[in-house]
Amino acid sequence: MIKRRHFLILGSILGLSPYVYAKTDDSFERAFKKIEPTLKAVQAHMFPQGSKLPSADAMHVTQFVYETMQHPSFDRDIKAFVIEGAEEFMQRTKGKFLSMTTAEKEKALRAYEETNYGSSWLERIMTLTMEGMFSDPIYGANIKEAGWKSIDSYGGFPRPSTKYMGR
Amino acid sequence: MYDVVIIGSGASGGAVAYTLCKTGYKVAVLEKGRLIRRDEFSKDELAYCRRDLVTPNLFDEYHTIEEKVDGKWVATPTYESGWSFWNGNIVGGSSNLMSGMLHRLHPDDFRLKSKYGEIEGANVVDWPISYEDLEPYYDLTEELVGVSGHYEKHQYEPPRSRAQFTQPPTKENAVVKLLDKSCQKLGIKSLVTPRAVLSRDKGDRNACYYSNFCGSYGCSSGAKSSSREALIKPALATGNLTLLTNTHVKYLHSESKDAVKYAMAVDTVTGKERRIEGKMFVVAAQAHESSRLLLNSANKYHPHGLANTSGEVGKNLIFSGGGSGQGELHKDSLKDIKFEDLMTTGLFVNRSILDWYFVDDWWDGKFKGGSVEFMFEHQNVITRARKNNYKEGKLLWGKELGEHVVKRMTEQKSIRFEIFNDWLPNDDCFVSLDPTHKDKYGMPVGKLRVEGHPQDVKVGKYIAKKCEKILEEMGAKNIYSSVSSAPPQNLVAGGCRFGNDPKTSVLNKYCQAHDVPNLFVADASFMPTGGSVAYTWTIYANAFRVADHIVSVLRTVA
Repeated sequence: MIKRRHFLILGSILGLSPYVYAKTDDSFERAFKKIEPTLKAVQAHMFPQGSKLPSADAMHVTQFVYETMQHPSFDRDIKAFVIEGAEEFMQRTKGKFLSMTTAEKEKALRAYEETNYGSSWLERIMTLTMEGMFSDPIYGANIKEAGWKSIDSYGGFPRPSTKYMGR
Repeated sequence: MYDVVIIGSGASGGAVAYTLCKTGYKVAVLEKGRLIRRDEFSKDELAYCRRDLVTPNLFDEYHTIEEKVDGKWVATPTYESGWSFWNGNIVGGSSNLMSGMLHRLHPDDFRLKSKYGEIEGANVVDWPISYEDLEPYYDLTEELVGVSGHYEKHQYEPPRSRAQFTQPPTKENAVVKLLDKSCQKLGIKSLVTPRAVLSRDKGDRNACYYSNFCGSYGCSSGAKSSSREALIKPALATGNLTLLTNTHVKYLHSESKDAVKYAMAVDTVTGKERRIEGKMFVVAAQAHESSRLLLNSANKYHPHGLANTSGEVGKNLIFSGGGSGQGELHKDSLKDIKFEDLMTTGLFVNRSILDWYFVDDWWDGKFKGGSVEFMFEHQNVITRARKNNYKEGKLLWGKELGEHVVKRMTEQKSIRFEIFNDWLPNDDCFVSLDPTHKDKYGMPVGKLRVEGHPQDVKVGKYIAKKCEKILEEMGAKNIYSSVSSAPPQNLVAGGCRFGNDPKTSVLNKYCQAHDVPNLFVADASFMPTGGSVAYTWTIYANAFRVADHIVSVLRTVA
């Protein structure tokens, strides 16, 4: 059995980010704001315009990631990992990812994927992005059911009237 | 003081509460989770299937799971692994979320040791009751709780007192034509799956509306035969049931050797503790948690745990052996049925195979086998979209991902099988109290050692090969199966064996504690062996049987 906590946190070269020690929501918000442009660019590279799936930019999937991680039901270790994995990627790319060409971005992401830690982080970002794109439109990232329409697969009825069962 | 205090509102707690309330006794059901009403359920994949919203947060409440690593036992808390052993902590328990593919046990499941003899390394014993003792209660469950189906004679179908199911089968996808034909060609008999889903209206419960999202979700028509719909609601209607939600029992308090006095409960919202007194107590918290509760109830009168003079509490925990397999039916190679009919959503596959329940093979020998259920891959959209997006070990993304996902989701459908065979009870599968880890209420968490017996995997693989042949005959592509000794955490039983000898069992044949006459354990804990089908029908049936006995005891006391 994989020990998730060890794998996610101690696997990082940078070690624990300040966010992991911080307990207030403010600190998460601050940490997220720092990584947000990079996360958004990674998602856009994974889900570009012109694909058979909706684009990340059109579906507000970065906002979804931000919101879902703030819900109490979200695993706190994964929450820290998303932030920390992005920080590490930013460090590896020396803060230049946003200005890279598509080919350079591909190369940088594939290089990150070569590491166990980077591969795990990219898997997590893929999962979170798809959670947004293919969850009920109430969560804000499956706009006008575009995600469902693209794969001709729809959620069932009744649809939720509140997010996270109103919890 | 209540006549009876029941801990847990799932299948067994509901059946006991229903019987007692209908008979006129005052009952309290203590449920750790909250009540979600029929009209509150939705098909929200994110909430129900991808977040802990109907089960506790693993950082608050968890188990430690002990597995053998390099020859040593290593315990890992489930908050580290993410491997939750909670199965639906809401009113009605996990019966709200089941797929409802139910079977009765076979008469020989009650006498496995007599029938097959000792198996080295396994603690197989016969049950103290027979199929005939339980049959009336299987029948009661079928009619009262609601099981739809169609009986067809088969050498391994147990005998029935009622000729036919009162509810016909739920509607079926066209794929059953292909499946039946393929089985027939291979000389295999496919049977209609009895399902705990109503195909016709029953009282205030409406027939299934084929939502396409059944298992893992609550039912919005009342068709699924959950404890909440079928038993707790009518029990509440008697006026005799007090349903205490958000009420977690930390331990059962006794002030003598032979009686429980009260349940020490904590309000999970306010944290306030209270004592709930009763004449009798029924533990129905799901097998591994029921054992934990008894062990956590140790005091000077019961130094090794409540009802544990035998030392057997927590021992011989069992799961369900087996595994699963899958194959893809592709648009461009589909046989016998139309692709658009295959892609019609919501309808059930509804097919089971019992041909290998007992095996007498010229090559492999004679042994207890198992049952098989066929179904479509779960229709959850996020899960299906996310899986298998790899090429040469690399994650797919970009336009290539789009092509890949759209093709897979629109040009094929996966059909799968699940194998259920005996999880042989053994010395390395049990629940005890973790010596260091405690839950947020300060109580030691359950430590589960979950080792299977090698025979379980052998049986599973034998059946998986047969099932793969069926998928091949159906024309499926990319067929694979996975059989391992990893326990399915939603199919758990044992830990408080029933039996006639107080030295080797926790409960008597009525699931009453040998040591403590006003204590019963009504969930699947009692099962010394598990049979080769899902437990739910047997849990319902046995709990009705136990409830009848409790009524007779209460009448005697009165």
